[in-house]
Amino acid sequence: MGIFIEDYNVSGADTVALEDSIMQKGKQVTAGSKILDNFVSPFNATVVDRLLDGGFKISGRTVMDEFGLLKLSHDDNNTPSGAVRAVSEGISAYALCNDLFGRYREEAPQYDCCYIHPTYGTVSRYGLIPLASSLDQIGIVCRDLSQGFGLLSHLAGKDPKDGAMFPDSKYCYGKTDEKITLGIPRSVIEKADADTRESIMDFINKFSSTDIDLEYFDLYSQVMYILSSAEISNNLSRYDGIKFGYRASGYTDIDDLYTKTRSEGFGLDAKLTAIMGAVVLSKDHYGPYYEKAMKIRRLIKESINFDTYDVIVLPCKISDDPYENLALYSLAPLAGLPSVSFSYKGYGIQLVAGVKKENLLLSTWEVSMA
Amino acid sequence: MKYETIMGLEVHVELATKSKLFCACSTEFGSDVNENVCPVCAGMPGTSPMVNRKAIELAITAGLLTNSEISPRITFDKKNYFYPDLPAGYQLTQLFAPICKNGWVEIETDAGKKKINLVQIHLEEDAGKLIHDDWMDTTLIDFNRASVPLIEIVTRPDFRSAEEVVAFLEKLRSLLSFADVSDCKMQEGSMRCDINLSVREKGSDKLGTRTEIKNMNSLKAIAAAISYESQRHIDALETGEEVLVQETRRWDDSIGATFSMRGKEDATDYRYCPDPDIMPVFIDDEWIDAVRSNLPETAQDKFIRLTQKLGLPEYDSEIITRSKNLSNIFDETLQYYNNPKEVANWIIVELLSIAKGDNKGEDDVRIDCQKFAKLIELVDGRTINRNVGKKILSLILEEGIDPVEYVEKNKLGMINDTSLISSTIQEVLSENPKALEEYKAGSKKVHGFFVGQIMRKLGGKANPQIINKLLTEALKEI
Repeated sequence: MGIFIEDYNVSGADTVALEDSIMQKGKQVTAGSKILDNFVSPFNATVVDRLLDGGFKISGRTVMDEFGLLKLSHDDNNTPSGAVRAVSEGISAYALCNDLFGRYREEAPQYDCCYIHPTYGTVSRYGLIPLASSLDQIGIVCRDLSQGFGLLSHLAGKDPKDGAMFPDSKYCYGKTDEKITLGIPRSVIEKADADTRESIMDFINKFSSTDIDLEYFDLYSQVMYILSSAEISNNLSRYDGIKFGYRASGYTDIDDLYTKTRSEGFGLDAKLTAIMGAVVLSKDHYGPYYEKAMKIRRLIKESINFDTYDVIVLPCKISDDPYENLALYSLAPLAGLPSVSFSYKGYGIQLVAGVKKENLLLSTWEVSMA
Repeated sequence: MKYETIMGLEVHVELATKSKLFCACSTEFGSDVNENVCPVCAGMPGTSPMVNRKAIELAITAGLLTNSEISPRITFDKKNYFYPDLPAGYQLTQLFAPICKNGWVEIETDAGKKKINLVQIHLEEDAGKLIHDDWMDTTLIDFNRASVPLIEIVTRPDFRSAEEVVAFLEKLRSLLSFADVSDCKMQEGSMRCDINLSVREKGSDKLGTRTEIKNMNSLKAIAAAISYESQRHIDALETGEEVLVQETRRWDDSIGATFSMRGKEDATDYRYCPDPDIMPVFIDDEWIDAVRSNLPETAQDKFIRLTQKLGLPEYDSEIITRSKNLSNIFDETLQYYNNPKEVANWIIVELLSIAKGDNKGEDDVRIDCQKFAKLIELVDGRTINRNVGKKILSLILEEGIDPVEYVEKNKLGMINDTSLISSTIQEVLSENPKALEEYKAGSKKVHGFFVGQIMRKLGGKANPQIINKLLTEALKEI
């Protein structure tokens, strides 16, 4: 797999690669799916306009998993994603992407990059091909978190075209002098391998810390999977071969057009997710699955109150099974919290802070790097 | 009667907003195909619906007019189904937190007054329109209507007769059109009604099998469909030849019968869920009060004003307040010429008869009220006679002429000259000896004949009162 679908051949410290889910006027944008073959975006995503206004250059459009879905159908291809490669190989200074299931957050530290997942509702999703609307969040792959937050300050701020945003028009990202206390979920960290644990303990020792219990952690993946499947199946239903994108040939009637177009246009993960989403939203399953997952999501949000700690420390990997690892990456999107992931002494660490508390993440990182 | 019919309604009303429910596209009727479409209402990825506050205000207005509770917090939900006229693959509607609940509307039929209870009123978006192109043998889609705001008014099963249904829809149309919530035109589809109907033996407390009837586009069709469908249910219960199933049936107006639609309703699971892109909208008392204080006069208020303050007969007031359009014409014309009785008269007698001749309904008559007022004043002030006035009214409607200029230019001013009229009377009497004989023999009809002849000689411009008076005198002398 290459890095770019389309390479604009620019270089420099102000270059930003766009994941193929971020719309650019006049460009073919497919979100890694055949179903959007020949879809030419009629407008720029708000983040693209803001990048250009900030004097940044777009370096290209990076390859991605179909719509950024969780890959349960495993391939043996172990190459990193286009966005992470573009930054780690020095082709682009930054990359923007939508990391719902943790692929970029897990990969970035492995390739000596960092990832910023901003607070939900601070960066416009207008022009982001949606995956799961209540969880989607444009994030940044970068080499250095202080530079990454510098870029974020150009992107974040209310956009009237995205209905689910905070009212702040601008955010200032910088170090704080607040004394930071880490929250340590020991039972989660213990699941990581010995080397990772050692690196995390070393990191923790630089701060004051307190042990915390991540209530419902065992349910994170399930809640994430149920809610995201439901929203993804909604969002995929607009791809029907009628108005834009791919349309199969040789159909006999409208149902045949839908069936053929979707059979040929969607990959296996998209099909599985659409079906799973339809199941959890169906009459008999809405209550026991979707509604229950919504309730647990609320409980998860309420359980993370940052009253005796400022930043939660998590490993970036606890298993080879993507579904188990998903728990690590579910907290931030489910609770709408900001997170960063980066490499500390060769091992991935993820930090999660309270809503709009990105500055605590930046400060923690800076202290640890000193 | 052994059986009773039990009905509940789902009424869709298109809101009279300038823009669509979730984007800035125009809602104008009659635009070019796909002229009013943007990435949001075309269901493109990457877009986010932004709720139209005017649509919410109109729904609050509908709620206030129907004595409903207005919800302090509303949300929008996705109703999922696949059809080419639905761009996103789901319709945005309100399942979990509708804007209005538990309202009621009072209706009046020959059987007396009755309260019809409403379950709820919710906001939702309309779908596009499929157009079959026979020439190309293909189906095309017009998305102009996609995402136009609707309210759906859901009643309890409180109806027992077609008269009640029709009275309810007329009342609803009056309430909503007078408040500019909607123009409520069934023919144009801005008001649509589905009927849930079942039949049971009188006195039974068990409900019979329910069918839903769709596709009636006039009150007449609704009454006919109810009558047909009730009879079909009764026949099935009586003879047992047909087994009733819960289904949706389509009314065919040309055949006068209902037909089963494909079992779509029962097979579909709409997989409702909240739309996370639309934040809940909060409706506080301040907002509701602001809407309430801007509520325009209802038809009922206006009826009282016309009869009590302006002294119009109930019959005239009833006709004028039956239509928002007529009552607008009445009010505006009155501003230019303040004679309620004459204005009402000209609207009811002259304007409506011309409209009827042109196959136009009360809601479709359009007239320049300032010119209309001038015309009424000319007749009322005896500058022209009524017949000339009627002709000028047609010319105002057809060519937009100014009545004062027209009368001057064409010298249509009324002839009040008694000596000219007297000599014309003598001419006519001497030219028609046979008619005069008939008059002498006692035929009073001939009087009218003479008036017509005299008027004709005077170019239709003579003052009819003077003709009458002088003619009566002349005939007495004979």
